[in-house]
Amino acid sequence: MRHIPEDELHAYLDQALSRSQCVEIESHLARCETCRRERNDIAALRDRTTALLATLAPSRRIPPSFELLRRQAAQRSARRVGRWRAAAWAASVLVAVGLGWGARSFEAETAPDSVAAAAEQPSAAPERPRRAPEPLAVVTPAAADPDAQRPARKSGTALRGDSPAVEAPAAARERPAARAEAEALLASESNRTGTPRDSVALGPSQPVGARLSSGQLPIGSFNGSTGALFRTVSWDRARFERGESVPRIAGLPVVEVQLAGSRGQDSRPLMVVAQQLESGQVIRTIEGPATDVTQLLASQAKGSSDSPWPTMDDGDGIAGGDGAMAVRRGDRILAITAPLSSDSLRAMIRRLNATER
Amino acid sequence: MDELERLYQTTYGAVVRFLYRKVWDADRAEDLAQEVFMRLFQHRPEKPRAWVFAVAANLARDEARAAIRRRKHLTLLTNDPGQAPSRIPAADELVEHDELMHAVQDALGTLTSRDQEVLLLWDAGLSYPEIAAQTGLAVGAVGTTLARARRRLIDAYDRQHSDDSRNHAAHS
Repeated sequence: MRHIPEDELHAYLDQALSRSQCVEIESHLARCETCRRERNDIAALRDRTTALLATLAPSRRIPPSFELLRRQAAQRSARRVGRWRAAAWAASVLVAVGLGWGARSFEAETAPDSVAAAAEQPSAAPERPRRAPEPLAVVTPAAADPDAQRPARKSGTALRGDSPAVEAPAAARERPAARAEAEALLASESNRTGTPRDSVALGPSQPVGARLSSGQLPIGSFNGSTGALFRTVSWDRARFERGESVPRIAGLPVVEVQLAGSRGQDSRPLMVVAQQLESGQVIRTIEGPATDVTQLLASQAKGSSDSPWPTMDDGDGIAGGDGAMAVRRGDRILAITAPLSSDSLRAMIRRLNATER
Repeated sequence: MDELERLYQTTYGAVVRFLYRKVWDADRAEDLAQEVFMRLFQHRPEKPRAWVFAVAANLARDEARAAIRRRKHLTLLTNDPGQAPSRIPAADELVEHDELMHAVQDALGTLTSRDQEVLLLWDAGLSYPEIAAQTGLAVGAVGTTLARARRRLIDAYDRQHSDDSRNHAAHS
């Protein structure tokens, strides 16, 4: 008697066989103890595979609404048409400039009286559009999607100063997080010691509501309590000092990075990364030596009763109350503070990407 | 509710998971999944479900290539915060679940790319014929491939576990 091959049992359990094949297999299984055992083994194997793969899933988030996505798709199609038009217009401008230049050169040759004046102009006219894309350098790194980047540069070449205003909101809609991160990167290189900057420059196209002031950054009051000095640093600087392990939640725009002056050569400094949620709320990730972080959190909790700062448990592992969550890793603590429920914070702290090395 | 909306409601989560298992970055997976569906609304293909996963697989491949390019040009790009998602997901030593996940991730990494692809497509809910169409396998070969992929995944996972427990024993 022929036993059922393994792959056929898989296909059978996966319901990938025809009705007649199923009947054939089932009648064999009814008669054959060996194959029944094999079927049960494979069923168990199959279940374990499914269970293992189920662990490889990102935390569940609410998907964007179907309508929103469909509208965005429609907008994108429309924009594509718009870009073609812009490109065509740009081309016509180029042609016009070129013709003008040609005509002037022609004039210059035919009218020897005005040679000096005309000779200056023609060289300047085609030069200018080529120099113009400089302001775009601020916009383009944000458009991580090369699709959005290329047309912006193309039309920018001809349209000059007008085009960033036209293209930037488009790019912004597509990749808000990447754009804001890039802006934060471009904005700050002010390593002022002692106090946080009075406002965080986020770049020209940032919505007004997204601006932060030092009033919302309770970090400043930490300075007195431990003698550590906080300085606001650029993203570059943070990465330079901390390598890949800048504590933050991937995908959220970084609005400010602060470092406490490192005292020892080998010890990594205390770092506070402020990021903004879509709702406009700011969350802070704090990473540093356990005592420093504990002190910081305690001092902030004392400082104002309505601030989202926690009181710390002395126990190990996850601690904190409403508004904060902390995890101890050896002699360091990773904490996250935000005016959010503890469930949300717990989810956030799991998303933290500070990799310890 | 039209056909596309129903497809979106029923498969968005599966597409995110499918992408996540390729790019290992939750935010990137969501971005790419949304990109997939935006393209779906623009193109309106004949077999939308199979199309969605084919496009998702292509985007993930592009992503992997871009990651390699980025690594080559790392000196130029060190100032870009959006780059270089770490392969190991967030704070994985924090919670038991993350350790388990890490172990499964490693086990999956031991499979050939074809075995991985077939297994992930099956897990995403595609049928044998759909998997065959996307991978270029014969329908009859899908069962064989799945059988091998499942066994290898479990073997790799169990092997790793027994290694772990041996290490623990050695330490104590």
